Amino acid sequence: MVSSGNNAGLSAHNSQLMAARVRSAVWFLIPLALLVVIWAGVVSLFEVNPRIFPSVTSVWQAGLESVFDGTLVRHIGASLWRIAVGTTIGLAIGIPLGIAMGVVPAVASFFSPLVRFFSVLAGIAWIPIATLWFGYGFGAITFVIFNAVFFVVAYNALLGVSSIPMQVRNAAASLGAGRMAMIFEVLLPGALPNIVTGIRTGMGFAWRGLIAAEMIATDLGLGYMLFTARDFYKTEVIVLGMVVIGLLWLALDRLLLAPLERVTTERWGMVRS
Amino acid sequence: MAWVRLHQRWPNLAASLPFVPLVFSWWLTAWLEVFPRAFFPGPGDVVLSMISLIYKGILPEYLLDSVTRLVVGASTGVAIAIPLGVLIGMSRRANTVLWPPLLFFQAVGDIAWLPILLIWFGFGLTTMTFVIVYTVLFPVVLNTVLGIRSINPDLLRAARSLGASQARMIWEVVLPGALPNIMTGLRNGLGYGWRALIAAEIIVGTSGIGFLMFDARRAGSVVEIMLGMIVLGLLWYVVDAWILAPIERATGERWGMVTR
Repeated sequence: MVSSGNNAGLSAHNSQLMAARVRSAVWFLIPLALLVVIWAGVVSLFEVNPRIFPSVTSVWQAGLESVFDGTLVRHIGASLWRIAVGTTIGLAIGIPLGIAMGVVPAVASFFSPLVRFFSVLAGIAWIPIATLWFGYGFGAITFVIFNAVFFVVAYNALLGVSSIPMQVRNAAASLGAGRMAMIFEVLLPGALPNIVTGIRTGMGFAWRGLIAAEMIATDLGLGYMLFTARDFYKTEVIVLGMVVIGLLWLALDRLLLAPLERVTTERWGMVRS
Repeated sequence: MAWVRLHQRWPNLAASLPFVPLVFSWWLTAWLEVFPRAFFPGPGDVVLSMISLIYKGILPEYLLDSVTRLVVGASTGVAIAIPLGVLIGMSRRANTVLWPPLLFFQAVGDIAWLPILLIWFGFGLTTMTFVIVYTVLFPVVLNTVLGIRSINPDLLRAARSLGASQARMIWEVVLPGALPNIMTGLRNGLGYGWRALIAAEIIVGTSGIGFLMFDARRAGSVVEIMLGMIVLGLLWYVVDAWILAPIERATGERWGMVTR
């Protein structure tokens, strides 16, 4: 009896939570829908030249068309694949290197200006030299994404490790923690909140770098789609591309990066308002 | 230990020392010709090209162009962003209406606007200024709102019960309270704006450091690309270390929120 009562209470609570979520989603969507209505109204009222700004229906049609002939999927696929490869390599090298540099305080203070200098340059500033080293195409773009993620994450990992209180590390060492235990149970967890923040910032730079690099250096991808549409004054394709880019980044940031950051900061008792 | 002491006494010297072995190993790699010289020139070549570009007056002119664009764009962006942030932070109604579009347009990103801006304004200053204003705007607005939300409500109530008008509330409680966050937003915004400027200069391509680099790329001159990257890095270092960090530190200390 007691347990069933509890269950009922729990499910009522859950459904309340669901309702709250749905309500906030609706409140989130209403202003955006309003924006679309205003857009449609203004374009039809003032008879805006489609070369200046497209109508809602033409963007919708361009969207349907590119979905059905498969080009949109190909562009999105190419962009996401580059982001995935570049980010993975960047994380795989950046996190260990950042932690290694941060372990000894003197070494950390030696390397941090260097890594910081390069994290300032990370991303777009590398496009010219990347295209010269790797030629136009996959290599150059992935390299730009890689170094946007790599330097920012390495810098943050370094900061994170060097901000772990020395007492904690001494305590672990005096309790007999080996090198492996030290890395995986003290240094990595301690630096994790910083690393995750670094990943979010780095991905932000990488995403912009991707779009810029694709405008310059390839024949496939979302940036390329936008930039070629410009040559033909196809504003409906440009606006479609912008909406797709916005939605993709929102999805990436809200569904992947923000939850990751929330989980780590909460777990580490550093809840931010 | 000596290193740590040096770090405390002359932080600027200590911060530049690590670059000595870096430049040396760069020089060594280039001198040994590990990579073909055309693809990987040494520091000497870069210094020579810097001297020649300064002598021709190209480098100072481009640098001035880039910095002017950044300053004009950033100050316009801040001038729009702070009032907008205060509006959204103070009014629930403005928040429900403006917050979702704000998040969406932030996600669209500055660089994705370039193609349509080129159609609207052509290849020119307006396009580049628009991109920088757009980039700086969002981090400052979002952080202003965050800062206003984090003000202790007791302070707001106290000021109001002491009879502060709405204008004085904003001027003497809300804005000062949100200032540390606004500074953080400005710093983030400039970080993004900086990259947007380089991208815009590469793509729009009339003048500026980004253009210098991409023009050099077309001519296949790695020396000038590297020069451009070094100038960009140094410039940001100067702006960040000498202007932004001290302001941020000053507001943080003044407001008793030193985090070190």
